[in-house]
Amino acid sequence: MSDATIKTQPIEVRFRGGGFAPKARRWVGLAVFVVLVSIMEIGTRSGWISALTLPKPSDVLATFKELWESGLLFKHLLPSLSRLAVGAAIGATVGVCAGVMIGLFSYVRAGLVPLVAAIFPIPKIALLPLFVIWFGIDEASKYALIAFGTFTPTVVATYGAVDNVDRSLIRMGQSFGLSWFSIVRKIVLPGAMPGILSGLRISLAIAIILLVAAEMLGAEYGIGAYILEAGSLYDLERLFAGVVILSLLGVILSTVIGFIERRLLGWRE
Amino acid sequence: MVTFNRRQTMGLIGAAAASGLAAPALSQNKKVVVGALRFTSHSASFIAAERAYFADAGLDVELRFFQAAQPMAVAIASGDVDYAVTAISGGLISLADKGAIKVIGGALSEEPGIDGQKILASDAAFKAGLTSPAGLGGKKFGISTAGSSFHYMGSKVAQAEGVDVSFTPLQKVGAIIGALKSGQIDAWSIVPHIAKPLAGSGAVHIIGNISDYLPNYQVTTVFTSAKNANDERQQTSDFLKAFSKGASDYNSTMIDKSGGEDGVNEMVDLIHKYVYTDRERAKAAPSIINGTMRINEGARLNIASVQDQLSWFQSEGLIDGDITLDTFVDTSYVETFEA
Repeated sequence: MSDATIKTQPIEVRFRGGGFAPKARRWVGLAVFVVLVSIMEIGTRSGWISALTLPKPSDVLATFKELWESGLLFKHLLPSLSRLAVGAAIGATVGVCAGVMIGLFSYVRAGLVPLVAAIFPIPKIALLPLFVIWFGIDEASKYALIAFGTFTPTVVATYGAVDNVDRSLIRMGQSFGLSWFSIVRKIVLPGAMPGILSGLRISLAIAIILLVAAEMLGAEYGIGAYILEAGSLYDLERLFAGVVILSLLGVILSTVIGFIERRLLGWRE
Repeated sequence: MVTFNRRQTMGLIGAAAASGLAAPALSQNKKVVVGALRFTSHSASFIAAERAYFADAGLDVELRFFQAAQPMAVAIASGDVDYAVTAISGGLISLADKGAIKVIGGALSEEPGIDGQKILASDAAFKAGLTSPAGLGGKKFGISTAGSSFHYMGSKVAQAEGVDVSFTPLQKVGAIIGALKSGQIDAWSIVPHIAKPLAGSGAVHIIGNISDYLPNYQVTTVFTSAKNANDERQQTSDFLKAFSKGASDYNSTMIDKSGGEDGVNEMVDLIHKYVYTDRERAKAAPSIINGTMRINEGARLNIASVQDQLSWFQSEGLIDGDITLDTFVDTSYVETFEA
């Protein structure tokens, strides 16, 4: 080791890490909404967006206020929420159970995977008239449609999640002499939970989409019925008010699932 | 969801219609798009197209077919379609209020003495005593959507009988028929060519006529964009003239039987090119003949009936209470009458 080598000029190495990591930018999302809505408001007020193209956001807000004050909001919201809750609960529960069974048992997999693949692409709305004959025109057919629609994506997400559970953890459990049931309860289910929950995000959004379809038949009250009525009357203010309610429902459901994720998946950290 | 949007639907239907139609193309002719449903009530447009009445009036008409009245009204508003015929609905009035469309004439009418729209009851309800519209109290009446013509008819019948009915929105005619046959709803009203075969099958029963409650009901109207009504006066009145000629042919042949059986047969052949095209002629003919209702001569408009419908929509809170008849109707084109 000579002094010369030590004394060579050190090359300055710039720090090149960083970036590619999403950070919380709290107000940007809100700003995008504000800008879009104000463009709509200014455009409709000044007239270069015609009344036929878009409603005035302030009118939509007024419609919303009217809905709130007249109590109609809850008259529409409560039946929809109960349809959503019952239908999605049935669909998601049966879907998670079926998905776990497919993931665990080869015979069930061989039997059900083709069936699920066959059911998945059927537009559920096309079966609506049939559902009315099977389940009647009242609530049951609406529950069935939403349950049916949430069932298939949940099954696919669940058995995919079960398949992705780390096999080495299962082998380890076996080496430690855990019983089959214990492995399922302590390794497979917790391991599959992230996949199941992200699947639920999708299937619950589909449940909201199907709410409008479900309320096409024989619903006097409900957010979907409200939107359909506004559409057929070409009442854009009411149409947008209804759509905003659906969007809010989506945001709330997504937040709830985020909360459940933080509770159930604390072990990941 | 398999909901085609309007553009896709029109693309499909337009492609199908364009391939089947050889419209005489004179170079100086004005290109005009006429919207239609595949119902016998749209026969005046079919006749005017087939017998070249439109061409004689200097209009190069392209017929565009729709599945329902509502998208057709929106297509007029967007300028994709120039003229169309449809029932007055809350949506149509709302579009007029937004300055997009105008009613310019009358088409199908109820007329006492001519088989018009029928009031139907499901078999179960019929057996339970719903044998006349007086028994409609507390029953479920099928409608497509709130603010549709079915809603208007049901409400008017109930009002006349002094009873309250509940309305069940089912969106599509097919869904209403299914619900009625299986007894999910109790009653409905519909044009005769759908009502009669249904009643013939025994699954439903005819319990009354709409014309008993709404005599001279102006069922459908001719409408166009506000732009056509205001700026294209010549073209619009040319269209109405040719359309009226078609209507007049239809009435004289199908209702007054001026051409005898041969005339009716010839007319059925013509209409069959557009309506019930999926059925063979022998099966389609009775339905086409059953569907005969009068189309107003000269596209005359029953302004009293239109006013009554407008007031009803307002009283139900379905449309803005400030809308007047003038925003909705342009009476400068055809003769109006009150009946």
